[in-house]
Amino acid sequence: MVRLITHNLLACHAKGCTTNNFPLKLQDVVVEVREAEFNADFLRGFLPRIEWTALVNAAKELGDTSLPLEMPEMVDDEFLKNLHHVLLEIHVDEGAMVCPNCGHKYPIMNGIPNMLLAEHEIG
Amino acid sequence: MTISSYIFVFAQVHEEFRIPELLSVSELYNISLTFPGGDSTYADVSTPFMIFGLECEEHAHILARRCILVKSIHELYATGKTYDEIHEQNKASKHLWEKYIQDTSFKFKVEAYNHSIPQRRQKEVVVAFSYMGWLGKIDMKNPEVTLYCFEEYRDKRGSSASLRHRHEGDGDFIQVYFGRLVAEGTARHLVKTFDVKKRSYYGNTSMEAEISLLMANQTLASPGKLIYDPFVGTGSMAHTTAHFGAFVYGSDIDGRQIRGKDNTPGIMRAASQYGVSERIIDLCTFDLTKNPWRCGNLFDAILTDPPYGVRAGAKRLGRKNESWRPTEKFLANRLEGEPYVPPTKPYELSALATDLVLYARYALKPGGRLVFFLPTVTEEYEELDLQTMLCEGMEVVANSLQNFGSWGRRLITIRKKTSQSFPPPTFDASARESLENAAASHTPAHKDFREKYFSGFKRDTPETSQPVS
Ligand SMILES: C[S@@+](CC[C@H](N)C(=O)[O-])C[C@H]1O[C@@H](n2cnc3c(N)ncnc32)[C@H](O)[C@@H]1O
Ligand SMILES: [Zn+2]
Repeated sequence: MVRLITHNLLACHAKGCTTNNFPLKLQDVVVEVREAEFNADFLRGFLPRIEWTALVNAAKELGDTSLPLEMPEMVDDEFLKNLHHVLLEIHVDEGAMVCPNCGHKYPIMNGIPNMLLAEHEIG
Repeated sequence: MTISSYIFVFAQVHEEFRIPELLSVSELYNISLTFPGGDSTYADVSTPFMIFGLECEEHAHILARRCILVKSIHELYATGKTYDEIHEQNKASKHLWEKYIQDTSFKFKVEAYNHSIPQRRQKEVVVAFSYMGWLGKIDMKNPEVTLYCFEEYRDKRGSSASLRHRHEGDGDFIQVYFGRLVAEGTARHLVKTFDVKKRSYYGNTSMEAEISLLMANQTLASPGKLIYDPFVGTGSMAHTTAHFGAFVYGSDIDGRQIRGKDNTPGIMRAASQYGVSERIIDLCTFDLTKNPWRCGNLFDAILTDPPYGVRAGAKRLGRKNESWRPTEKFLANRLEGEPYVPPTKPYELSALATDLVLYARYALKPGGRLVFFLPTVTEEYEELDLQTMLCEGMEVVANSLQNFGSWGRRLITIRKKTSQSFPPPTFDASARESLENAAASHTPAHKDFREKYFSGFKRDTPETSQPVS
C-alpha cells in the first residue's frame, strides 16, 4: 500500500503550504509489487484525474519506465495494462513522503501513510 | 414491454431500509420496478409480503442476489382475502402456468406468517388446487417448479400470547398470496459471512454486518467504482463495499483504529479473510477537516459512520483553548518522539454533518452518493432537520430510521445532482453559516447529540445499551 494512485492524489496540506506542495518526494522507500484486479472502465474514468508528469516520474523513481512521457491521445490495451500496473500494483510499504516546498515529512509505516499534521502546522 | 407481477417476501427487520435498498439495487442494474400504487410513497412495509411489477424474470434473480432484505421472489398467480378469490384469479392466470401442466416436476408449500397452520389443513389447501391438473411428478427434493401459498395473519403477539394454542385462529388470515418461486434471496447469507464476531479484526466501533451490507447497497457499489470512508475506523463498510466489487479508500484521524496491534493493519487482515484486500486501495491517517486530497470530483460514493462523540470521540485537530501556542521546548519534545499524537478538540455533530455534505459535494463525482448515519433524538426529530445540512446541488434520496428507543440513527443517502464544480470546504463556522438553505435558522434534533445522550435525553435515561460510537 501507498500505491502510486494514492501518491498521485495526496498533496502537502500544512498551513500556508499551497504552492509547489505536490508531488510529494518518495524517501527511503521499501517497495513491493502485488497483483491487482484489472478494470478498464475504472482506468479510463480515472485518467482525467491523473497528474501525468508526477505519475511518470514517481514510476521512474521506483524503476518502472513503461509509461509515455505525455499522456497518449489514443488509449489502447497495451497502455491500459501499463497504467494499471503503475497505478495499482506498485506498493510503497515503508518510507516517507516529503513535501518539496516546506519539507514536512509524512512517514509510511506498514503501508499506512501518516498524513496528520502537528498542531503548529494547521491553519 | 409487458410488466409481470411478483410477490416479494422480505425479512422482517430494518423495515425502513427495505424500499431504499430495492430502489438502489434497481438503479444500479437498470431495473424498472413498478409499485402497485404507482409510486413508493404508499408502500406498506409492516408486512413481509409486497407485490411489484418487473419487466422480466432475470430482474427478479438480480434483486434476489443483491438485496440483503429479500428472502424470496415469486411470480404472482393470485392474491386475495379468501380462497374463493384466490382460485378465481388463479384460473384467470392459467396462461402463466399452463406450460407446466404436461411434465414439470413440482412441489407445493403452504406457509403462514404470524401463525402456524395445522398439517391437516395444509393438505386441504393443496388439494383445493387440484383443478390445475399438473401431470408432472411431485418431487420434494429437486422440483423444477415450487408453488407457494402464503397466508398472512394479524400480529397476535400480546399479553395472552403464551396461553394461546399455536393453531388458534387458523384460517382467520388477512391475505393469501399464491405463486411460483422464482428466486431465493442469496444475499442474506452475507450477514453471516460478515459477522463482526467472526472477523479477524474488529473494535468497539465496528458496524454490525447487516447494516454494513445495507449501507454498501445504498452506495451502488460495483466493480470499477471508487468509494471512500473518511471515518473508516476498523473498516466494516470498507469490507462490504469491496465485496460488491468497488475499490475503496479509508482514512481515520486515529491510526490505531486502522491498525490494531499487529504489523499488518487490522483492516487488511480482515480484508484478506474476505478476499478483498486487492480492492482496498489505501488506508491513511488524517483528520478529514485537514485533509491532503489534492482534488475533488474523485469518488463515486462516500460511505461512512461519523463519530457522534459518544464512544469514539468526534474530534478534530486543534485545542479547545485556541490561543495556546506550543513552546520551542514542547515542539522539540513532541516532534522527535514517534508516533506523534496531536491534540484534538471536540467536533459538534450538526457542524460535522453540514461539513460532511459540503465535503461530499466537492469530492464526489456528479451523480455520486453520500451515505452516512445521523444519530438523532427520536422524539425531537423533524424532517426539517435534514434540510439544515443540505447545500445547493445536493438532494436527499433516502432516509431510513434504525430505532433504539429514545434515540435512533438515520441512514441518510444524498445524491450530488449537480455537475458543477465547487471549491473544497473550509470546515469552519463561517462556511456553515453562509449556507443559503431554507432551514438555516432551524435547530435540528441532532445538534449537541453528545450532551443530550449523556443527559439521557432529559426525558428519561437511555434504556438500551445499543452500540453507539
Ligand atoms: C463511528 S467510528 C467509525 C467506525 C467504523 N465504521 C468501523 O466499522 O469501525 C468513527 C471514527 O471516526 C474517527 N474520527 C473522529 N474524528 C475524526 C476526524 N476529524 N477525522 C477523521 N476521523 C475521525 C474516529 O477515530 C473513529 O474511528
Ligand atoms: Zn508542505
